[in-house]
Amino acid sequence: MPTQRKYQPTEKAQAFLAKVENAKYDRGIITGLKKYIDKKVSEDMQDFYSEEELQVLIDMKNTDRDVEARMPVKITNHYYQIAKNSKAVQTLVKASPKETFDLEGAPDPGNQMSYSPIEGLIHKYELGLIYVINTCSAHCRFCYREELIAKKEILREDGTVASKGLAKIPELVNYIQEHNKLVEENGGKHPETNREKLREILMSGGDAMVLGNKNLAEWFSALADAGIESIRLGTKELAFYPDRFDRTFFNMVDDFHAAYPEVQLRVMVHFNHPDEFLQKDDNGNYIENPEGGLLWIENTKHAVKELADRKFIIIENQAPFIKGINEDPNDIRIMQRELKRNRINNHYFFCGRDIIGHKAFNLTIEDAWKLLNDSQKGLSGVEASARLSITHYLGKTEVVAVTNEPIPGIPGTENGVVIFKLLRGTADAKNKGQVAIVGRNPEAIWFSGYEDRVIIDEAGLFTESMKETSSVS
Amino acid sequence: MAFVVGENCINCKHTSCVEVCPVNCFYEGPNFLVINPDECIDCEECVPACPIGAIYSEDDLPEDQEHFLDINAELSDIWPQITEVKEALPDADKWDGIEGKLNYLER
Repeated sequence: MPTQRKYQPTEKAQAFLAKVENAKYDRGIITGLKKYIDKKVSEDMQDFYSEEELQVLIDMKNTDRDVEARMPVKITNHYYQIAKNSKAVQTLVKASPKETFDLEGAPDPGNQMSYSPIEGLIHKYELGLIYVINTCSAHCRFCYREELIAKKEILREDGTVASKGLAKIPELVNYIQEHNKLVEENGGKHPETNREKLREILMSGGDAMVLGNKNLAEWFSALADAGIESIRLGTKELAFYPDRFDRTFFNMVDDFHAAYPEVQLRVMVHFNHPDEFLQKDDNGNYIENPEGGLLWIENTKHAVKELADRKFIIIENQAPFIKGINEDPNDIRIMQRELKRNRINNHYFFCGRDIIGHKAFNLTIEDAWKLLNDSQKGLSGVEASARLSITHYLGKTEVVAVTNEPIPGIPGTENGVVIFKLLRGTADAKNKGQVAIVGRNPEAIWFSGYEDRVIIDEAGLFTESMKETSSVS
Repeated sequence: MAFVVGENCINCKHTSCVEVCPVNCFYEGPNFLVINPDECIDCEECVPACPIGAIYSEDDLPEDQEHFLDINAELSDIWPQITEVKEALPDADKWDGIEGKLNYLER
C-alpha cells in the first residue's frame, strides 16, 4: 500500500507542534582521531591520546583492523571532562587497538534484519524498536549497534546488501495501524505472527535525544495518534550531555502530556559506571552529600530531578557489563543505590553481545552473573531489582543462576551448572519462562560456549536452528 | 567537528538536505545553504541527500574549500533556519559543477 511521503499531523498534533521550540546545543563534539593527530583539539585535550596510542591506531588505518571503520570515534566536551579523571570512562570512549585483534562476531547482532518488516523498525515481542537516528553525542566503543552507527552494509532478508536505514513517520504509522487492525479483527493476536497489539515503541538509534525538540515532538504526536500508549526514549544523553534536558525540552514534554495525557514516556537511560554521574574529590573518591547519599554532577542531577518530577515519565537504567569499564561489584553496588535513590529504576544489566570484535569487550557469562550477584549483596530488595540478561536470537534471556555444586547423578554437572530462562520470545509469549540448564564453562562469553554441555534445553536455546544464526567468523 | 556545505551549493540550493537533517541545523541565504557547526551532530544523513555532492565531512573538505568552514560558521549565526524542502533555484542544473562560484555568493 502506498504511504504518504510526508507526515501529515492531525489537528490536535498541529496545535501541540505549534508550541514546540528548538534550542541550540553546544555539545563541543570531537569526531574522529584526525583532530587529535593534527593537534586540532583544545590544548586541554591534546594528551587524551598519547603519541604512542595514536601511532598504533594510525598504523591500523585503512587495514581490516581499522578501529574507526569498526566504530567511529566521538566524544562531547561534558563527557571528556568526566573521562579525564576516570579510567573506566576512558575505556568506554577511547579507541583501542584491542577492539580489532579478533574480528569474530555477527555482522547483524541479534539477527535484527529478520524482525524488520519496514525500514528502521525492529518488531519483536509486543514492542517496536525504531531507529530514529544513526549517531549519538559520543560513541561507546562497545556499542552493539556498531553496524548502524558505522553505516556498514548488511545482508537483508531479500538477499540485497545495504546499510540500515532510519524509520520514517508515515511508513511506521501505517504499519502500526495495519498491525493493530489485524490483531483486533483476529481477537487480540496477529493471525500470522501471533503477536500482541503494538502498544509501545522504543525510539532508539543512535540516541533519540540528539534529535531536536521539534523532531521528537513529531514522533511523539504521530505515535500517540497511531494508538501507541507508551513511548520509550533510548538515550545516553544524561551521561554524554545532560544539558540537552533543558527548559525547551521539558516545555515540549509538558505540552505533549497536556495534549495526550494517557501516553507515558519511558526514558531508558544508560549509565555504565557511577563516574558518569557522581562528583569526585581530588583523591578520586565520591563525596558524601550531608543531606544523604552521594554528590551528583550538578547538571546531571538537575536533569534527572526534572524527569523524575513528572508523573507521566518513568526512568529505567540498563547497561552492559564490559571488560575494563564496570567489572567491580562495588562500583555497580554504588550505581544501583544512587540511581534508585534518585528515582531511576535498575532495569537490566546485559552480557555483551556477539558484535564484531566482541572478544575485546565481553566478560564471561559466569563472571557477569557473579558481578551482578556480588554487587547486590548489601542492597535492599527495591534497589536490587535488576536482572542479568543476554540477548539470544530467540529472545531476551535471563542468566538466572550459576551454581558451584554438582547435581548428584547428572554427568556434565561436576563443576556446577548455569541456568538460563527465556524472558520473552521474539514473536509471542508462549515460551516465556522456559529454562535451559548447562554445565559450567567459566570461559564462555556467548551461548556457543555451552553447546557441548547442555543438560536440559526446554527453551530451545541450543537447537540446530540457533547455531545456524549464531556467530560467524 | 561538523559537516560543511561547500561551494557547489551556490546558485543551486536544492534543499533536499534540510529534510533529512534530524537536528534542523541548516540555515538559508539567498543562493546558498550552510550548516551550523555547533548544532551538527555528525550523522552524515545530508551527504547522500545532496544531489550535487556539495556537502563534506570537515575532515574530507577539499583543501581549496577550507574557507567554507568559516563561511558556514559565520552565516549560520545570521541566516534564518530552514527545515522544509523547497524548489531548487531555477538555473540549478546549469550551475552544477561550475568552478569559482564563491564570487556569486550573496550574503
